[in-house]
Amino acid sequence: MINLPKVKESKLEGIFITDGKFATKNLILGEKVYGEQFVKEENIEYRVWDFYRSKPAAALKKGLKIFPLKLGMKILYLGIASGTTASHFSDIIGSGGIIYGVDVAERVLRDLVRVAEKRGNIVPILADARKPEEYASSVEKVDLVYEDVASDDQIPIMIRNCEKFLKEGGYAMIAIKSQSIDVTKPPKEVYKQALAELEKHFEILDKVELDPYEKHHLFVVMKFK
Amino acid sequence: MRAYIVTTLVGVFAIDENKKIVEFSAFSRNPKEVAEKLKRSEIEILPEEKEIAGRLGRKKIFVIFSNRKEGVKHAEPGNEFENYVRENLRKLAIQKGLIKDDAEYNKFLTQANLELTKVKIKKAVGADHLVIHAINSIDELDKSINILVERLREWYGLHFPEMDKIISNHEKFAALVGKFGTREKMDEEELKQFSEQSMGIDIEDEDVKVIQDIANQILQLYKLREKISTYIEKSLKKIAPNFSELAGSQLAAKLIAKSGGLDRLARMPSSTIQLLGAEKALFRFLHGHGKSPRHGLIFSHPLIQNAPDSERGKIARTLAAKLSIAAKLDFYNGEYKAPQMKKELEERVKEILSSKK
Repeated sequence: MINLPKVKESKLEGIFITDGKFATKNLILGEKVYGEQFVKEENIEYRVWDFYRSKPAAALKKGLKIFPLKLGMKILYLGIASGTTASHFSDIIGSGGIIYGVDVAERVLRDLVRVAEKRGNIVPILADARKPEEYASSVEKVDLVYEDVASDDQIPIMIRNCEKFLKEGGYAMIAIKSQSIDVTKPPKEVYKQALAELEKHFEILDKVELDPYEKHHLFVVMKFK
Repeated sequence: MRAYIVTTLVGVFAIDENKKIVEFSAFSRNPKEVAEKLKRSEIEILPEEKEIAGRLGRKKIFVIFSNRKEGVKHAEPGNEFENYVRENLRKLAIQKGLIKDDAEYNKFLTQANLELTKVKIKKAVGADHLVIHAINSIDELDKSINILVERLREWYGLHFPEMDKIISNHEKFAALVGKFGTREKMDEEELKQFSEQSMGIDIEDEDVKVIQDIANQILQLYKLREKISTYIEKSLKKIAPNFSELAGSQLAAKLIAKSGGLDRLARMPSSTIQLLGAEKALFRFLHGHGKSPRHGLIFSHPLIQNAPDSERGKIARTLAAKLSIAAKLDFYNGEYKAPQMKKELEERVKEILSSKK
């Protein structure tokens, strides 16, 4: 019998493939964050990245080619919620990197605090992403801004935060939720307008729609001009 | 010569106009203490800040605080001097020998912010959140009671099917079964004639005992519901006296729960309050199907309930407008004006009803 390796490296840094699914190396051995599956090989523990629960994973599944996360990166994460996605980011950037996680909802941050205490590279911040001044004292310049906020002003929020915290030539990723921006318009039209707005500030590197994993979402990877 | 005082998690910096650090006072490395200091620094002057200001004063340097505080000269937040310190904080901390390397800085940064966030989370939860859970639990109790009563009626119906139609009140039904057990023992005038010629089967004592237990549990649930309901009323009088007086405590609690808290409700326009709970109909309308809804949860208010269908939209608007004022009053001010507002509301509704053709 031939023993095929269960886990393969993908083309992207820090992301592995196992049985058609994506996975990241677990930063904290034995710790599950949201009931995800573990795969073990050669004494390395991998956490399977559920593409139904995490938008970046869904984007990768739908064929996203450019995914700029790297070891040691500093990230500002707007709308971090309970840390499902953030835990995988935290795996990829490793203990030398740091995630500043902003969210307004105190309920989800309570869960995130528990994740952050274990991982050591997530900084939870209870604040409104619309008011970057409020958390400016806790955040430094970052290499990447990721926004997953379901709000009609998610594009202006992104731009304002990037102007304040993103390094020149830094990366930005956003999950645009068309239903939040305007329910009455067809998603394609909302995306077109949003992209036009983003192109004034960013160079669009890659984009995919997340259907069927997340309905009416467009995932965009950009570079700050 | 002037200098800006910038307070960070490693300590207090003073930076001059040439972006040179002229003074520095370190904080301890205890994350809890640092979190406490950063929080206090937003409202008052810390001993470390005072000390630096004093030292600068002796050197005849004009002091400006970079964060806003009452009673001191401060700059606009996000000014270039503050930004300089924040952007270079890692470097500065390592230069000053406070921190060995990036990894240690990350660790300290995470710990201090964790403490800060924990304090903020604690503060973010108000008494309205307790009411939200209470009103939601009433909805769940109602569901549970309905399911159990349905079962009770079917189950007891094997023995005494006629009773189902005669006693339509659930609570009374459960009380009778719980108290008396078999149909022969039912000491209730309206049931007597039916119990003698019932088409139900005869059952043993131990069979009826189980049914009685269920009936008594249902009664307990009714009592619990009553208790929670009183609790909601009482606690709403404290946190939202005007709003609950105008809306009635059940409706008030439901609106607070739906909106996610009194703070959010206070920030809502009255048109949103008018349609809270009618989201499905609203979005259907926005997509171009159906008519626009006139009322959401506020439909259960007696002023709307008792109005003719043609005037309900108008009354819903009026009511929502007054409710929105009341919510704002409760959240921002607290003055009790409900009786006067109620009078105004009722007068306006009368006006609407009398002008109806």
